[in-house]
Amino acid sequence: MERRVRTTRSLVMSFMLLALFSTSAWAQTRRITGRVTEEGSSDPVPAATVTVVGTTLGGITDAQGRFTVPAPQGPATLRVRRIGYSPKTVNVAAGLSEVAISLTKDVLQLDRQVITGTATSVSSINAANAVAVVSGEQVNRVPAQTLDQALQGKISGAVITQNSGAPGGGTQIQLRGVSTVNAGFSPLYVVDGVPISNAAIPNGLNVITQSARASAGTNATSNQDQQVNRVADLNPNDIESIQVLKGPSASSIYGSRGTNGVILITTKQGRTGKTTLDITQRFGASFLSNTIPLKCINTVDDYLSFRGHTLTDTPARLAAHDADVAFFNERNSGECHDFQKELYGENPLGYQTVASLRGNAAGTNFFISGLASKDNGLAINDYKQEQALRINVGHQFGGRLNVKANSQLIHTLTQRGVSGNDNTQINPFSAMSVTPSFLDLRRRADGTFPIGADAANGSNFFQNADRIKTPENVYRLIGSLQGAYNFMSTERQTLDFTLTGGIDAFNDESKIISPADIYIEQVNANPGTLVVNEGNIVNANLGGTLAHRYTSSKLVATTSAGFGQSRRQSNLLTTIGRGVFPGVTSVGAAVQQFVLQNQDIAKDFGMFLQEELLLMNERLLLTGAINRERTSNNGDTDKFYSYPKASMSYRIPEIVPKVSELKVRLAFGKAGNQPTAGKYTFLTQLFDEGRGGLRASTVRGLSSIKPETATEVEGGFDVQAFNGRMTLSATQFRKTITDLLLTTSLAPSTGFTTQWINGGKIVNNGTEIELGLTPIQTGRIDWVSQTTFSRVKGKVTELPVPGFISGPGSFGSRFGNGFIEKGQSPSVIQAINGCTELSSTGTCPVANRVLTFVGDALPDFTMGFSNDVGVGPVRLSTLVDWRHGSKGVNLTNNYFDGGLLADEEKGLQRLADFAAGKAVYVESTAFVKLREVRLSYEMPNALVSRLFNGRAQGARIELSGRNLKTWTDYTGLDPEVSNFGNGALGRIQDVTPYPPSRTYYFSINTTF
Amino acid sequence: MKKYTIAALTLAVTAAGACKDSTVVQPLDAPIIESVSGKPLVRSSLQTLATGVLAQDRSGVVGTPTYLILAPVMGRDAIRLDTSEPRYVGETLATNPDPGSFAGGGGFAGFYTAIRAEQALLAALPTADPTAFSSAEIAATKGFIRTIEGLDYMRLIELRDTVGIPIQASDNETVSEVSCKATVLNYIAALLDSANSDLAGASATTKLPFVLPSGFTTFGRDYSVVSNIQKFNRAVKGKVDVYRAINRKSPQTARATDAIAELTFALGGAAPGAVPASQFAVGPYYKFVVGGSEATPNNISDSRLGLNQMVKDSILGTDTRVSKIISRSALSGQGLLFTHNTTCAGCTATAANQERPLGILRDEELVLLRAQAYIEAGNLAAATADLNSIHTAYGNPAYAVFTSKAQAIDALLYDQRYSLLMEGPQRWVALREYGRLNSTYLHKETATDPYNAAFPLSRAELNARGLTANPACVGVN
Repeated sequence: MERRVRTTRSLVMSFMLLALFSTSAWAQTRRITGRVTEEGSSDPVPAATVTVVGTTLGGITDAQGRFTVPAPQGPATLRVRRIGYSPKTVNVAAGLSEVAISLTKDVLQLDRQVITGTATSVSSINAANAVAVVSGEQVNRVPAQTLDQALQGKISGAVITQNSGAPGGGTQIQLRGVSTVNAGFSPLYVVDGVPISNAAIPNGLNVITQSARASAGTNATSNQDQQVNRVADLNPNDIESIQVLKGPSASSIYGSRGTNGVILITTKQGRTGKTTLDITQRFGASFLSNTIPLKCINTVDDYLSFRGHTLTDTPARLAAHDADVAFFNERNSGECHDFQKELYGENPLGYQTVASLRGNAAGTNFFISGLASKDNGLAINDYKQEQALRINVGHQFGGRLNVKANSQLIHTLTQRGVSGNDNTQINPFSAMSVTPSFLDLRRRADGTFPIGADAANGSNFFQNADRIKTPENVYRLIGSLQGAYNFMSTERQTLDFTLTGGIDAFNDESKIISPADIYIEQVNANPGTLVVNEGNIVNANLGGTLAHRYTSSKLVATTSAGFGQSRRQSNLLTTIGRGVFPGVTSVGAAVQQFVLQNQDIAKDFGMFLQEELLLMNERLLLTGAINRERTSNNGDTDKFYSYPKASMSYRIPEIVPKVSELKVRLAFGKAGNQPTAGKYTFLTQLFDEGRGGLRASTVRGLSSIKPETATEVEGGFDVQAFNGRMTLSATQFRKTITDLLLTTSLAPSTGFTTQWINGGKIVNNGTEIELGLTPIQTGRIDWVSQTTFSRVKGKVTELPVPGFISGPGSFGSRFGNGFIEKGQSPSVIQAINGCTELSSTGTCPVANRVLTFVGDALPDFTMGFSNDVGVGPVRLSTLVDWRHGSKGVNLTNNYFDGGLLADEEKGLQRLADFAAGKAVYVESTAFVKLREVRLSYEMPNALVSRLFNGRAQGARIELSGRNLKTWTDYTGLDPEVSNFGNGALGRIQDVTPYPPSRTYYFSINTTF
Repeated sequence: MKKYTIAALTLAVTAAGACKDSTVVQPLDAPIIESVSGKPLVRSSLQTLATGVLAQDRSGVVGTPTYLILAPVMGRDAIRLDTSEPRYVGETLATNPDPGSFAGGGGFAGFYTAIRAEQALLAALPTADPTAFSSAEIAATKGFIRTIEGLDYMRLIELRDTVGIPIQASDNETVSEVSCKATVLNYIAALLDSANSDLAGASATTKLPFVLPSGFTTFGRDYSVVSNIQKFNRAVKGKVDVYRAINRKSPQTARATDAIAELTFALGGAAPGAVPASQFAVGPYYKFVVGGSEATPNNISDSRLGLNQMVKDSILGTDTRVSKIISRSALSGQGLLFTHNTTCAGCTATAANQERPLGILRDEELVLLRAQAYIEAGNLAAATADLNSIHTAYGNPAYAVFTSKAQAIDALLYDQRYSLLMEGPQRWVALREYGRLNSTYLHKETATDPYNAAFPLSRAELNARGLTANPACVGVN
């Protein structure tokens, strides 16, 4: 401990020396005043930053666009910057003290501040990393239920996949390929400087679906619970911008949580200028966008054939035949029911009401927003409701202290119904796979339901959807407080200390209520199942940064140093009751009770030092940083692990005609991924005659377990050409992950059988290209086009353990599973495909099956095409998402191949091929999706004025749609699917998922 | 200057404060090994560890079919036929056991897990709070746990024979060399003698400072009292000494004399032939619990299990142990040359059989062991007396005093088979040591019957050593 304090102390000392060394006296100053307006409209541009080049002097424009800045005597150069506008540099002659500056709109977002540290940033013009920036406007073009869905198709290098069509979330962002096998796989989400939780808490659906029956027993939660990752709680409407640090070369400042990339979310802040009230009212509905074509079974012969009871030659066969005929006669509704459309045909109108107030009063900036929404799913009872309130305030106390407080209180209530793998025919699609279409299973007028066709429990999926409730209530507070104190501000130097504290705390209470009086519960020893989950998650963070900036005509040097500390704790308590009377929602009232608890605490502490040098008239940027960090999850909790980074970018002076900017960049960085297991040798509980005993687990702990380490080198160039009408950014990266967290087998004679170790290596090589164009830009018509391309190829280059099936789960290699093997892609799919010799009946004996690699779960490349065309007041935006070359395992087909598909022959052929050892359920999951379409109309001022009595500044109506069309060869419901939810690997299993929907919205947006 | 000082101080104070907050976190949901070692041991934690040892020891026996089913299959007492799992026959009576399968690789890891648990308990004993335990209680605990440790090693070497087994290192990491059989038996003997010295450090009436499972206290002798633990210790030592005496590779005939003394002590000093039938069932037992979290049934309660037809065919007409043999549906196929249609009375899959207690080393077995020792010591009269006490107890006429060792062994194998039917691998071990596990004495069960005499080291053990086949053992077989 003493040594660490000393390290801190010497760090501080070196800082002070640096500060003192570069101190110089105030020079004689003068004042320059001026006004900043928008080119063309002459509207004032408030909140623009005006700096005197070569000094630290500067100011910010007020509501009228006016500013006053101190400047040295003699000629000066002013640089004006404002998000959404191209930056401008203006020379002010020695005698001049008044200037007028106009800014042009920056439709391609050429100039944005890119965050480089906890309190530092650099213009994207100089940035040395390919940091993807998505503006709030781009996020919210078409409403999405969750933030991650809103990002689909917008970030090169990201594969964003939804797990199913169930409302309320369950989406994963994977940046730059596979970064781990067994450790954490989610990018780190940071909201206004505060890392937040993206935990996915299982709701205990497994207790009624028994999807994980074999491995987890009958009373446990499971990764097949169709859980939602909780970034779904964030209100996308509050977002000012999102920056995506795709890999360690950019994210090393986040240390052992940076390997999977970092998604930095900045929420809207108050601003000087007129206070605006923005209200958006949306109405929307979802419609089933795809179905499995099923056969119409409405004759007794069809039914007997489906049941396989056509023969009557033995008494047993005759009895089965006669029973089926009787059943048909009794239950034949006389029509062919399309169960999918009947069940998923509920299309109630949902709404989103978004209101925000933004402005400045008495020196306090404020942004206050509220959201109330309900997005409905396709089946009855399925929806996501959200209410959110945000208050962001900022105040400048005197000249030195600036305080910002951001807080958001969120409540979401989601019901996602039952979907995914089951072993009890509770899931609609698994029940449909045994239900002939002559049955009418819908709710009767008196509220009762006919019994279903499943022989085991008579499951009626209409009754299940109507009566089984799956509410998940989340109450969440995300808050941060940031104080920035300016110790020194001279013409050439500034010294600021920023202290940021944040908290993300939520309570996730979910229930599964399966009432005792529905058919599926009748077969249970104690009918009536209730699961109550209480999840409490608290993430708390504290960080301090001392930043010194030295500015001269030769260079700008920014030195920052600081510390960060975080504590993350979770407590998940699951209580299960069996034998609960209908209507009762207390586990205490159950006949049998089961309790599970899972708690975790992690603490991190880190220190960093960073130097950024902007040289050669801001053409050359050099950055070097080191982040040293320790965490409770490491074997050695006292040991600091180092995560360095270094980068450079150089803006080549105009060398090619029409090219206004050409920048080359190179960046290197290291980040880590904390060990999630393996540190301890736990004691296993055994019982002897009911008395509890403990002995060492057969999994031996490794006291030296350490983080996985990702090292990344990325290089590329950025071009701006044709007067800012074209931008091209190309990046090549190589990300190497070593010290993977793996399990190895031990000699059982030691008393232990397995151990977690660090070892192995994955290398990802990839390319990312972003092209921005404004092919048309006239006063009346403009067209902005953005295209992203990315490809990444991963390879396991070292593996110190035998190859193994990768998690989070699979259904065996006859269907297909993920596999980790040296020399292969980490996301490769392995399946039985081939037979050395068929048996006489045409099936493949177990010993003759050929196990091979049949494809990859990750795409060869992804592309996104975003186009935004405006003609006067009308704008049309579209987003197309293309994924090429990925494969998945479609088990859902296997449910229907026994003669229920409309194309019966196809299903039977597939079964025959399957028996012969062919990997018939491995399919291409490539697709092209029309993700977003928006048509908006900006109402003319006269109309707005008449409609709102002159109080409104503007109003816009929009028609929009999400996931309107999918082009794919995939034969299942949706190529975007994962039965096991989110995971580093193995997101390839399609097992009777919640079907996909297309969503339409009508919106009115008014600004007062 | 002052400003910078403030700045520096602020940063230093905050950073130092944050740094002071240690990043050590203890797991909350399950205990870790450190929560036992290095902490003063109290009664409740000793109880928990002791229960863990005994539950794992029991699990080693019934957790895999190797000890109670596969070894008796190789010993020509049992047959298990399962169309979906042909290896019960394939790896016992048709080919050699595969180290990678449940059959060949079983009966291994479970015992070593128990030995690790025993080592961990013994390592924690020195931290016992001296005010909470008497030194006699500590000595008794040490002696008892090390006796169980000896028992676990003995089972391992019974199953692995001349393949040898590793002696587990005291640390958690070291992979020990594979020691040969005689070396291992000598190690076990020393371990048991040392345990006996521990027990001598307590008084005869000292009770263990923890509660034993009822199988150790309710079958005629309370093994929580030191005087009885001593009997148990000598019983195991006696068995090990018999194994040393009859070891076909390197017999230590002198050990037979030791075994006689040890077994006589274990039997309460009874002279040859003087152990009454009423005492046969006395001894330590495993009791079983079906269902719940415990779910440890006696695994001979198995609907696919049968008896080798020779068991039924060889029994004397007068023998009342015939009650242990009942009819069952025929077991045939999988290359077997015979049809088997009997099974043992405890072998059917009933709830009662799942909970049927299993003798660990009961007095009837001790009498048989002592007879073996007398045979090796050349005292055939005493051997006859001991065997007769068993033979006649089941309705059979007494043997005349044996005139040859071979004759005595014949009688021993007969009574051992029926007295200990489906209670472990005793007969398989005896057949192999007496040179009778071959086609001269036993008919072929399949055309390729290899007369397997040992199980290999498990595949996981070979893998961890970078081997594909059993290594040559170190020491004497």
